Amino acid sequence: MSEKAIEIYGLTKSYGKKRGVRDISLVVEKGDVFGFLGPNGAGKSTTIRCLLGMLHFEAGEISILGRRTGEAQREILRNIGYMPSEVMFYPSMTAEKVIKLAADLRGMDCGTEAARLCDRLLVDGKKRISELSLGNRKKVSIVCAMQHKPALLILDEPTSGLDPLMQEAFFELLMEANHAGATCFLSSHVLTEVRQYCKHAAVIRDGSLVRVDTVESLSKSTLRKVKLSGVSGAPALSGIEEVRKEQGGVSFSYSGDMQKLLTAILALSPKDVLIEEPSLEEMFMQFYEKGEEKNGVVSA
Amino acid sequence: MVLFLHECKLNRKSLLVWALCVGVLCFACLLLYDSLADSMGDVSEMFSDMGAFSAALGMDKVNIGTLEGYYAVEIAIMLSLGGGLFAAMTGSALVAKEEEGHTSEFLNTMPLSRTGILLAKYAAMALLIFLFELITLFCVLAGFSCMGEMPHMANLLRYHGAAFLMQLEIGSICFLLSAICRKKPTGAALGLTIFFYMLDLLLRVVPALEFAKYITPFYFANAADIFSENAANIPLLGTGAGDCATFLAAALLLYGRRDIAG
Repeated sequence: MSEKAIEIYGLTKSYGKKRGVRDISLVVEKGDVFGFLGPNGAGKSTTIRCLLGMLHFEAGEISILGRRTGEAQREILRNIGYMPSEVMFYPSMTAEKVIKLAADLRGMDCGTEAARLCDRLLVDGKKRISELSLGNRKKVSIVCAMQHKPALLILDEPTSGLDPLMQEAFFELLMEANHAGATCFLSSHVLTEVRQYCKHAAVIRDGSLVRVDTVESLSKSTLRKVKLSGVSGAPALSGIEEVRKEQGGVSFSYSGDMQKLLTAILALSPKDVLIEEPSLEEMFMQFYEKGEEKNGVVSA
Repeated sequence: MVLFLHECKLNRKSLLVWALCVGVLCFACLLLYDSLADSMGDVSEMFSDMGAFSAALGMDKVNIGTLEGYYAVEIAIMLSLGGGLFAAMTGSALVAKEEEGHTSEFLNTMPLSRTGILLAKYAAMALLIFLFELITLFCVLAGFSCMGEMPHMANLLRYHGAAFLMQLEIGSICFLLSAICRKKPTGAALGLTIFFYMLDLLLRVVPALEFAKYITPFYFANAADIFSENAANIPLLGTGAGDCATFLAAALLLYGRRDIAG
């Protein structure tokens, strides 16, 4: 039995002249909670739709739970719970009928689990889909994705539209599913979510993977945010960027040898010094702006 | 089976509205025959001798001065055209509505093959068309019964059988369009149905267009032909059935190869 939940090798997909994704390679281990980060249009949804067999790709290979996509698509989909970013169901149906339909299409009786999930997420099953807000449709979608206890959950921006209480309830359910053995592949814009819940993450930009690593490693870097008081300018040192003059001092970011930075700062005799790690958000922006092209298979 | 039943349920209101509108209209028109009967006797001879006009509507073959002739010429037009438009609307919506309504990500991520999805939807379309034909047939029989005069039953069933195949062929073409479009091709589907109907009228008047009888399914579902010849055109019915299979196969092939949008 494969220990990999998702294996993508050299995935390339384009839409005519429009860019899709280019040479994406990543591996997600079973039991992982994997974050997939990127700005709008970066290729997150394209990658996910390739995983689900909705898009045909020009090059590459995808295996899910040890099976190649296309060859055993029905079996793969049987073990996946998917929640799209733009959730929509048949407008004339009630929420409970949609949830029942999803279970019936899977040929399963998920009544007990569906009731438990609806109870936790406060889903009003009697309301028609056309009467539900995006947030409430998302809750229905969470139930549809989780009620059959899939081995792999693929969630495309799952918390957009959910209020903070429901976001918390959703992540509780997600963590419970993960502890029960499910692998979670979570596409998100919300970095705090990724930092809080994911073990590994990949950053995608302009259709290419920028970096795949543990969330802990992604947060760590040689990049530092520096603030000096009582000086009129930044030290003359390579690796210094984003210099901003502030009242009574200067701030800048620095990436490089720390000894050289300290020596250069001491030479300026500042009144006060603040050196801090950048936030994940700032790291995220750095990846987007600079982009570190990766080659070969990137394993989380 | 689940998807088949789901589609049938989603389309049941549309079926009832269309079938009852067409059926009740036909029923009412049959009841009107009595008030028209006196004048019908006078005009039937005139109508049967109006050259191209008579040929186009089949009035040179049956006598509209009789209830059966009146049905074959006047009522059958409403049945055929109404049924054709219903089949076009249904077939054109079945697949494309998923992408247009953003439900494709729900349906296409269920453990169903694309072939399975299309076959379930096609079977639902065939059943809806069959039920349409059954409801309208019931309304027609009720109309004849109220008039106290029943038509040649075998011919009536032959016509409704041919009309079912005609609608299935139009539905199949529109189903194929639906399988390759991201938005419901309703306009194209309705336009195509009207075009086929007009082509049937024209080919009966213009000899050079005779080849078009292999193109328009309205030709083999002509009530005047069936009632005058006491037979359906079996070779053309066979061609129609073959066309349905071909359009379905093309839909399966193209839908299986294309990308599904969210």
